[in-house]
Amino acid sequence: MNKLLFLLLLLGSFKAFSIEPLIIGSKSFSESLINAEMLAQLLESKGQPVTRKLNLGGTKVAFDALNHGGIHVYPDYTGTGYVMILKKNGERDPIKVHEIVSKDFLSKYDIRWSKSLGFNNTYALTVRADDPKFSYANKISDVSGKLDRARLGAPYEFMERQDGYKGFAKIYNLNYKPSNLTSLNAGLMYNAIKDDQVDMIVSYSTDGRIKAFNLKILKDDLNYFPPYQPAFLAKTNSFIKFPHLKAAIESLEGAISEDEMIEMNDQVDRLKQRPSAIARNFLIKKGLLEGSVTKSQKDQGILSFMISRKKELMKILGEHLLLSFVAIICALIVSIPLGVLLTRKKRAAQIVFPIVNTIQTIPSLALLGFLIPILGIGFAPAVLALFLYSLLPLVRNTYEGIKAVDRNFVEASRGIGLTNMQILLKVEIPLALPIILAGLRTATVIVIGTATLAALIGAGGLGDPIFRGVATVNSNLILLGAIPSALLAIAADKFIGLVGNAFVSKGIKLKFERQA
Amino acid sequence: MIKVQDLKKVFKPNITAVNSVSFELERGEIGCIIGTSGCGKTTTLKMINRLIEPTSGKILVGGDDALSVDAVSWRRKIGYVIQKAGLLPHLNVKDNISLLSKIMHKEKNFIESRVEELMEIINMPYAQFKDRFPIELSGGQQQRVGIARALMEDPPVLLMDEPFGALDPITRNSLHEEFWNLNEKLHKTIIIVTHDMDEAFKLGHKIILMHKGDIVQVGNKADFLERPANQFVEDFIKGQVHE
Ligand SMILES: Nc1ncnc2c1ncn2[C@@H]1O[C@H](COP(=O)(O)OP(=O)(O)OP(=O)(O)O)[C@@H](O)[C@H]1O
Ligand SMILES: [Mg+2]
Repeated sequence: MNKLLFLLLLLGSFKAFSIEPLIIGSKSFSESLINAEMLAQLLESKGQPVTRKLNLGGTKVAFDALNHGGIHVYPDYTGTGYVMILKKNGERDPIKVHEIVSKDFLSKYDIRWSKSLGFNNTYALTVRADDPKFSYANKISDVSGKLDRARLGAPYEFMERQDGYKGFAKIYNLNYKPSNLTSLNAGLMYNAIKDDQVDMIVSYSTDGRIKAFNLKILKDDLNYFPPYQPAFLAKTNSFIKFPHLKAAIESLEGAISEDEMIEMNDQVDRLKQRPSAIARNFLIKKGLLEGSVTKSQKDQGILSFMISRKKELMKILGEHLLLSFVAIICALIVSIPLGVLLTRKKRAAQIVFPIVNTIQTIPSLALLGFLIPILGIGFAPAVLALFLYSLLPLVRNTYEGIKAVDRNFVEASRGIGLTNMQILLKVEIPLALPIILAGLRTATVIVIGTATLAALIGAGGLGDPIFRGVATVNSNLILLGAIPSALLAIAADKFIGLVGNAFVSKGIKLKFERQA
Repeated sequence: MIKVQDLKKVFKPNITAVNSVSFELERGEIGCIIGTSGCGKTTTLKMINRLIEPTSGKILVGGDDALSVDAVSWRRKIGYVIQKAGLLPHLNVKDNISLLSKIMHKEKNFIESRVEELMEIINMPYAQFKDRFPIELSGGQQQRVGIARALMEDPPVLLMDEPFGALDPITRNSLHEEFWNLNEKLHKTIIIVTHDMDEAFKLGHKIILMHKGDIVQVGNKADFLERPANQFVEDFIKGQVHE
């Protein structure tokens, strides 16, 4: 009896220690990060461990991840679900749009929408408040047909999506010249209008910089834009698996007013505060979390900034190294035999090289996009993409290196009685080594650079602060990722150069010197 | 010692490089294969070493049938030297000479003393040259290392394809002397392919003149000068001999 009790206790405690972490995602702009942080911290305060996959590269990446189980929950907007995912349009009433997405997502994807978190973050046509050209305008209709000299900046996403630029310009008769249209990173367009690089931007209505930069929103008087109410999305079974999830989300429903969200965005975008700190302060103020509010941080130099983030830096550096290392090792294991094989099989070379070449030309983001439906998000697809990118230099240099070996040396070796394998290992590879090593260096530099993109699919690495920095216009954050990744690439290149050189025979080096 | 019988090689699609070649050499004898470019000298030599599989014919060395064993182990029993020596640029002199012995896991002390002995024979002091790379040697020195490498496993037969072809006349002459004296000691059966009738007269106990894949005449210097088999042989000697 005692034994049984003990066993039960043991099982119980084992279970307590092994609670599956709930994976929270977000898109890569401040508001999404802040909202995701709020939920994460609430759950953590209830003892639910959380894994953060923030900075996912866009609606498609985040939604695919949720749908295929790469993340359990993330915040999105009713209008985005309505237009981009359901591909619907027409309805403008916030309650009706919420009803539609709730119903359709449940039946199609078994995904539930929470109630709105409170505010509405829609697109807004925005000008400088003190711009004399637009002093007369208060609503968008006021500028119809009068824009032949105005310059517009808009986020990439807006230029593409169904409720985006095309219909917008048509309904309001916005007669911009095509040469005056610029697609911009959403985080950067506010500085562009402030510095008079553009005259108008399609901003987000809750961005803090609208107030801070003294910008003016023109009213959407024809109701072109759908409502964009923020809410959390999660699969039905996640609510069963994670018992605290429902209550945590409910405590945020209707909790954030438009002014509060604008203020928090401003704290992050302009005043360079951390989203996690801002989210925490908000939860404390609302009585949802215990603790004391932290003071805002001063602007820091990059060096002291890096030192203050030492822990984060070590973590992402570790992730970056692991990603790059695994990819390169796998690529080496495949490429060297493949490159050798291709020197023996001319026909195969004619098939394999065009394929490997084509892979190299696929833009890295597109490649990641292809891999998400197959492998989900995170480490595996990131490594696979990096692996594919490093194939070309390695396979090609192995192939070319071995092809370049003088046939006389091979013939002489065969003549004295070496087998084909002995000729490969003792003659061809040592002679091709300098060229193979050059390929390895190229591949390593490519992989370390490209690995920054891994952050966009939740695989972490040095890209993580870079994309957060781009999203929040925080150059310290960008440098936190960019400087180490550049240094890492240089160091790895030099390291392989030095170590590899030790393996190259002195006889070959002398020969190179003689030729030079 | 070595007996070649009706050796024939037809390359794809239908190129008869060697039609019918037969000759014999005793132990310690040097045979020189000579003939115009493309007459099949290299092909004959490579067939004896089984770098090229004969279409038909027989090769016997000391009673062993070359075609009844596997090619790699046959090559290990035959010394082979190609033009420009074919020394491997990434290995130093010692490693070039001992490459095959190391692969065959011969004992280290044995390898060391054998290399040292061979380098004495080719007149390249061990201590001075063992660590040099091919690029640090003259053409004549490379050629000697090539010969030492071929002798490493003490093969009964040595095949050499234009071994002295790339050397200047003075070096070539002194190497001829050395080589002749060397074989007085070693007593190897040697086949040398050459373009040069002088060389053939000087080194060959037997001269084998080929033309278009066939043997035209086999004999010693006197046979060729006094009893040329036909007009072609006469012309060949006239065109080649400058004495
Ligand atoms: N692998 C091959 N495939 C087809 N034909 C070949 C091949 N190797 C040699 N031949 C042909 O066989 C003939 C004899 O070639 P071989 O190399 O034996 O000539 P050689 O007497 O050594 O000439 P050289 O004095 O120029 O070295 C030539 O016509 C050559 O073109
Ligand atoms: Mg030849």
